[in-house]
Amino acid sequence: MVVGDFAKEVDVLVIGAGPGGYVAAIRAAQLGRHVTIVDKDTLGGVCLNRGCIPSKALISASERYQQIKASAEIGIELTGEVQVNMPKLMSWKNAVVDKLTGGVKQLLKGNKVEVLSGEAYFSGTNTVRIATEKSSQTYEFKDCIIATGSRPAELPILPFDGKRILSSTEALNLQEVPERLLVVGGGYIGLELGTAYAKLGSQVTILEGSKQLLPGTDPALTRIVTRKLKKLGVTVLTDAMVQEGEVQGDQVTVRATVKGTSQEFTGDYCLVAVGRKPNTDELGLEAIGVQLDERGFISIDQQCRTSVKHIYAIGDCAGGDLLAHKASYEGKVAAEAICGQPSAIDFQAMPYVIFSDPEIAYTGLTEAEAKAEGYTPVVSRFAFQANGRALSMDNADGYVQLVADQETKRVLGAQMVGPDVSSLIGEVVLAIEMGASAEDIALTIHAHPTLPEVVMEAAEGILGNAIHMVNKKK
Amino acid sequence: MATFEFKMPDVGEGIHEGEVVKLYVKEGDHVEEFDTFAEIQTDKAVVEIPAPVTGKVKELRIKEGEVALVGSVIAVFDADGADAAEAQSTAEASKEEVQPAPAQPEKTEGAAPKAVSIEKRRQILAMPSVRKLARQLGIDITQVQGTGKNGRITAEDVEAFAKDGQVAETVEPKEKPAEVTKAAPVSPRPITEKTPIVSVGTEERMPLKGIRRTIAKRMAESKYTAPHVTVMDEFDASELIAWRKWGKEHAADRDVKLTYLPFIIKASIVAVREFPMFNASIDDEKEEIVIKRYYHMGVATATDQGLMVPVIKDADQKTIFELADEILDKAIRAREMKLAPDELRGSTFTITNIGSFGGTFFTPIINYPEVAILGVGTIKEKPVVVDGEIVVRPLMYLSLSFDHRLIDGDVAARFLTRVKQLLENPKLLMLEMR
Repeated sequence: MVVGDFAKEVDVLVIGAGPGGYVAAIRAAQLGRHVTIVDKDTLGGVCLNRGCIPSKALISASERYQQIKASAEIGIELTGEVQVNMPKLMSWKNAVVDKLTGGVKQLLKGNKVEVLSGEAYFSGTNTVRIATEKSSQTYEFKDCIIATGSRPAELPILPFDGKRILSSTEALNLQEVPERLLVVGGGYIGLELGTAYAKLGSQVTILEGSKQLLPGTDPALTRIVTRKLKKLGVTVLTDAMVQEGEVQGDQVTVRATVKGTSQEFTGDYCLVAVGRKPNTDELGLEAIGVQLDERGFISIDQQCRTSVKHIYAIGDCAGGDLLAHKASYEGKVAAEAICGQPSAIDFQAMPYVIFSDPEIAYTGLTEAEAKAEGYTPVVSRFAFQANGRALSMDNADGYVQLVADQETKRVLGAQMVGPDVSSLIGEVVLAIEMGASAEDIALTIHAHPTLPEVVMEAAEGILGNAIHMVNKKK
Repeated sequence: MATFEFKMPDVGEGIHEGEVVKLYVKEGDHVEEFDTFAEIQTDKAVVEIPAPVTGKVKELRIKEGEVALVGSVIAVFDADGADAAEAQSTAEASKEEVQPAPAQPEKTEGAAPKAVSIEKRRQILAMPSVRKLARQLGIDITQVQGTGKNGRITAEDVEAFAKDGQVAETVEPKEKPAEVTKAAPVSPRPITEKTPIVSVGTEERMPLKGIRRTIAKRMAESKYTAPHVTVMDEFDASELIAWRKWGKEHAADRDVKLTYLPFIIKASIVAVREFPMFNASIDDEKEEIVIKRYYHMGVATATDQGLMVPVIKDADQKTIFELADEILDKAIRAREMKLAPDELRGSTFTITNIGSFGGTFFTPIINYPEVAILGVGTIKEKPVVVDGEIVVRPLMYLSLSFDHRLIDGDVAARFLTRVKQLLENPKLLMLEMR
């Protein structure tokens, strides 16, 4: 410690105010602890400022534009031009973000959580230095929760320049609709943003290194999405390895080997979305004995505790699925554990949602995974084409598929693609957590005419008695 | 009908033999499975062993007072039904249950080590709120048998499991990650990995067994059951020292070694009579308070094997010489492990004296199910204020731990003050002798 540097004492210190950190802070405060939260940026983290929320605003706006243009076929005719005002769209998006971050600020205040701004660095197992541009101050804490999240991973051959070679952060802040947009990486971020810009009028090319769009996702689900991308005029190239890239004035040129042959692609912008890396490298964790895995994620136990027993880690920086809802869940576990409660990471199903067109959502086991775990699975698929609400929304592509155990009919998983499946998945996650059987879902009245009826029909399909489709003979 | 040979079971203390304290059956009796069969004394713990089968006791091969070896046949039954052989074999088989670990490849992105894999968690059929209840009750839910459809575990199942006292010994939250030593090269290692037992020169491992295991169990039981509070006080021991010094010579004439303990016992008995709650216990099962009108003093005694508490029965009816004699005799036999089980049971109040080893105040643990224990510290010369002047006096230190469920702090303070008063003015104690 520097001479004259007196540590301020705090009780629980939360580093990072994203969906993991602020949730943990509020829960710990609810349980009677004095909580201090620090973030080097705006409250709300990547999720609110540079991820989930702004991207969904952009996706909704692009979808609205697309619908207006296509409304003639349902009898709504336009007499004038429909135009996209990008600066206005962006300021609306920013207003959405501001509303939410303002809400987080109010919640923290309402729970008497002290909010600090600055970058944190561990100077000991009980102390951090929090530095701003002007000053730095040491804080001594009793318990600490690290919730520093992750950031976009960079490709060495295509380093972000913030102008033409963009990470998702800048891609969410473009002031114009690019004429041609290159997207390197066909994971969910590249796909979501690529689709949005395609709908706003960009000519989009997606380059994915593996053999499949959305690697790791059930290929059957991506098929419908790929079809829609084709309709939108998006070029999707799989097995495409980027070799080099170059910025020339207002253009980016990327050379890639596509299925073995070298090709060149030119765009106004190039979005690089090839994964994320944990923000654990500038915290001084190694020096205080907090263990990281080989990829830099913090190793935690079932209570989110790190190898230093009064320091916890949650969310992206602790690895596992890099999902905001997983971070929030862990935030609550860690906060409760710190307050002496026997909470633990103990979930049976994690929901995964992708805001592609149409949306994809899945949870629990696929048929193959269920087999691998020793179940005899039974699968039932129900199409949105047979659902009144989906048809009346003019959005009936896709299906809901349930996987259940043959013997007990216990629900094991679901794979969905179609309208608003990001919301529909919730029912199946609950079913799995409750240990419900397909019969439990089938016997639950689902309002008509709504999309969730599809889940009920799929559940009846497991039992072999769906009403609105002809059931397979056993 | 089948003949069943009942072998002396391993009562789980890591011992090879046990003394038969009491037989609950005789030859020709018909017993139900799990009825109490006998009481076996091992080291210092008394263990009840249940009848292994339902049927008629054909032959008893042990008698009360005899020592039985683990594994030897202690009785022969004519078992009802044909389940006798099964009973034997299932008892063995259950030990060997092995959980095959699912050989699933890691599919999570960051691959953070988690104690319980999601595959394992998914095998549990219970609602999230029930799983939380199990954690709160410190129960490993995988041990709970579900009574619902398809083996669903209900909240009632978890509560019933907790009530049966089958609380799993290692509960999740206790599984703390290994401490990392500062200089050690940090290699990425799953935190919850089970460390194999290895001797690394700087530590040694040995099984927790015998008396030490019993002590561990009893201490934990007491501390976790009775809310302990300790009050402490010191008193001027000048007169007590003088009295004992004077008495010592007379005792020597009779071949008696007179220590302070008999005086402390006598003072305690006077106080205990005046405050009967100190000679009581709580019958947890019936939710009744049992006040005892007999005064059996436990005397904590250090042995090479660990702490033992021989009992001086009806200490109120014995003279100071008699007490001194009995204390010495029992202490010697305790060290030689020659005390009869009966001599280690039934105390109503306990005194623990660490004075001869040094130490002043401490917080003794109650000899459960008793409700109080008096700790006696060393005698030390200290400056004290008498009539406004600082003078040197020999002080003796008392620490009284009591069970706050039954005894309140004000009562305890008055009790201790009374003991102190009697010991500070031994003439007062004389007046209270019976």
